[in-house]
Amino acid sequence: MKKTSIIALAIIAIAIGAIVSMYGDASTYEGFEVSANNPGKEFHVVGVLNREKEKYYDPQKDANYFSFYLIDEKGKESKVVYHNPEPADFDRSEKVVIVGSMEGDHFEASKILLKCPSKYTDNQVQT
Amino acid sequence: MSSVTFVGEHLFWGNLGHAAVVVSFISSILATISYFFAEKNPLDQSWAKLAKATFHLHSLAVLTIIGALFKIIYSHYFEYHYAWQHSSRDLPVHFMISCFWEGQEGSFLLWIFWQMVIGQILLRSAKDWLNPVMAVVMLSQVALTSMLLGVKIFSYKLGSSPFELLRNVMANAPIFKSADYLSKVKDGNGLNPLLQNYWMVIHPPTLFFGFATTVVPFAYAIAAFWRKDFTKWLKPALPWALISAMVLGAGIIMGGFWAYESLSFGGYWAWDPVENASLVPWLILIAGVHVLIIHKSTGNSYIVGVILIITTFLMVLYATFLTRSGILGNSSVHSFTDLGMSGQLLVFLLVFVLMSIAMFIWRWKDMPRSAKDEEIYTREFWMFIGSLVLVISSFQVTLTTSIPVFNKLFGANMAPPADVIGHYNKWQMPMAIIIGILTGVAHMLKYKKNSNEGLKKMGIQAAIALVISIGLFFVFDLKNFFFIGLLFAGVFSILANTILLLPFLRGKIKLAGASVAHIGFGVLLIGVLVSSANKQVISINNTGEAINPEFNNKENVENIYLERGKPNNMGDYIITYVKDSQFWVNTYYQVNYKKLDADGNVDYEFNLYPNGQINPKFGLVANPDTKHYWGHDVFTYVSSVPSQKGEAKFINEKTSQVKPGDTIYTNNGYAILQGINTNSDGENVDVNNFKVLLGAELKVYTLDKVYDAMPLYGVENNSATSYDAFVEEAKLKFRFTGVNPEDKSITIVSSEKDNSGDFIIMKAIEFPMINFVWAGTIIMIVGFFLSIIKRVGDL
Repeated sequence: MKKTSIIALAIIAIAIGAIVSMYGDASTYEGFEVSANNPGKEFHVVGVLNREKEKYYDPQKDANYFSFYLIDEKGKESKVVYHNPEPADFDRSEKVVIVGSMEGDHFEASKILLKCPSKYTDNQVQT
Repeated sequence: MSSVTFVGEHLFWGNLGHAAVVVSFISSILATISYFFAEKNPLDQSWAKLAKATFHLHSLAVLTIIGALFKIIYSHYFEYHYAWQHSSRDLPVHFMISCFWEGQEGSFLLWIFWQMVIGQILLRSAKDWLNPVMAVVMLSQVALTSMLLGVKIFSYKLGSSPFELLRNVMANAPIFKSADYLSKVKDGNGLNPLLQNYWMVIHPPTLFFGFATTVVPFAYAIAAFWRKDFTKWLKPALPWALISAMVLGAGIIMGGFWAYESLSFGGYWAWDPVENASLVPWLILIAGVHVLIIHKSTGNSYIVGVILIITTFLMVLYATFLTRSGILGNSSVHSFTDLGMSGQLLVFLLVFVLMSIAMFIWRWKDMPRSAKDEEIYTREFWMFIGSLVLVISSFQVTLTTSIPVFNKLFGANMAPPADVIGHYNKWQMPMAIIIGILTGVAHMLKYKKNSNEGLKKMGIQAAIALVISIGLFFVFDLKNFFFIGLLFAGVFSILANTILLLPFLRGKIKLAGASVAHIGFGVLLIGVLVSSANKQVISINNTGEAINPEFNNKENVENIYLERGKPNNMGDYIITYVKDSQFWVNTYYQVNYKKLDADGNVDYEFNLYPNGQINPKFGLVANPDTKHYWGHDVFTYVSSVPSQKGEAKFINEKTSQVKPGDTIYTNNGYAILQGINTNSDGENVDVNNFKVLLGAELKVYTLDKVYDAMPLYGVENNSATSYDAFVEEAKLKFRFTGVNPEDKSITIVSSEKDNSGDFIIMKAIEFPMINFVWAGTIIMIVGFFLSIIKRVGDL
């Protein structure tokens, strides 16, 4: 067997390993229901802020506690806790992507991505 | 619409710009065709002449587009959507340059500009390869200029023009009913505050110059297929590939430096799709350069080398598609606008992919091959292995970055890994170890000579490097034993290449570009390892106050609450939020750091000024401030500020009867009455209004400073007026409220300003050895530069 063939085989093996690892590590976009059935497992949840219910952030009491209510794309609502300050521009977001897992009665978010399409295409002339 | 004649518009510049776009598009098509036929009919000089003329016309048109667009931004012609959307009146000139490439059209324009400049350089340097190479470069220019066209062909909109008028983009807005609508458009939307940074003025041009240069080696490779000449193109193409590697490398790290200096994610690299998209072509290019050098020295591995050089350019196009088609959507923190050009971008990518595949099929049998098996104890063997590792590394990065593409293709529902950094690191760290070690190993061996005589020397070096690494492991106090591998790779690479470099230090340094670049890589490796492994969030909230039972604060409690003027313990520091000040649109928060030594005494102190822009459109946009020491950085940013500052409130009011020499005690310090002044002339007080105006001369002592304060007391007939004295920094207010003739004392009411509504939430991170990251990169770039000089000298 030529060395070239051995190298080629090794590369194919590693490449397959990379694909498997991508599949294994990839999270999925799910709603709160799936998340609640798999507590502790991390998911991406896409949703909108429930503006009727109060969000809570009182930095004088705890600068690292922020909670709000999110309605996922299937319409299910959950409380979300984020152990960081309230992200800037949070109120203006049209869509929120949270990454994290269900912990008891609430969703522990480790990351929050805000989607504010209006940032760049705010086509309203201010006079 | 047409019935209204609008006043005050500057239509000339837009028309000029748009005409220039059309001219640049058509002239690039003509130039492509002319260069194509000039290559086909080498005897007919008229094609070459026509090609040159159309290319010059094209260059002129490109400069005109840039001039017109800059004029529009510079003169605040807000009737143009681009100026309105990306700039505003208050921007300084250097940021107007950044406005230029904030929008997609502008960044395409930047790319077009560089590709045009490259074409002009080729015109003067490519000699007999000019025609086929320029044909390919101009074809890419056709694709790029089409992105700026903004014309409708049937129902499909081709490209997006930067000269679109505001009233056409938002045709339905009622404001455009009036002819003098411009008088109502007072200001533009402004530049995204994150881009209001010096690095954003120079980082995009560098990166795009890097992207643009990848077309040259690609064009040479295609020209080689075309001419069936597989040797002569390597010499002129290699310096271009090296320039590309140097500039793209510099551009990528500048992006990292910008992120570190001005973004608040706390680091220089986050494996974000946008970062990955520029890293992947660079990795493949580095692999390609190595394989081409192998081929030049040994005659082997031609096919792999060409595949890599071609893939580099195709990956640049793929990166462009990923970041501009809007397909990344939810997977990136970057915001992308979809200008509806994804179809066009896909066509651009596919045309070049298919062209490359066709070339391979066409010339498959003619390409040089080596029938011999590779020998193990040769330099080329290990260089080749190293290149393959780079390819695997870029493959892995591409794969995970492309998750949104797989979703689209196969209708899957995958999201990027929840722990993105962990996912990439577990693959990329071992690869970095292998590559670091190989940069030391390969140079010990010789081309085409299967001999193991260098092995003993290598063994000794490796042993020394291992000892140093274990030493460093304890010096840096690293926890994970896996890191010894990375340290070893870095140290071994530096050691082996420095030994190689020594003989060249006298005079022949330019022959040692490779060694220098590899030393830089070793230094970079150590910097990346230590700064990320020992990165420490020092603003851990340790007040221990848990008021709400829900505040279980299990992990990322990484932000500290700082009330103005109140010192706080943070790690080895005492930090105080001193004050805020406004400069242009930014608020700077002065934070004083006092470093304590082991005995708890103040060792040294410094101030940091992280700033925030309370932007009406973007909310709080925070920029960090960093104190640089040679061995570590203290990185600080404001993560939240109160939305509205409350009115000043004074608390702890206390009335004291004092005589000169007496002391008034407060929580913030104490004051001693020096004497009573009868000739006071307070700044805001008219002395003539009073029969008597008394001033209480107070010396106010806080922990570290002394201030003077003089509250006034004026008497006129039956009424008396008090004037407060306020010591801002000590947050103390004194009020002179009365005189007691019996015991010759006066009454002073002291109070303290309540600052509980005036605070910042701050995060601070210590990065050790981060200077190694920058230093390593600079050394690497110097290495590339030396190699370029050598290769250009060989031409």
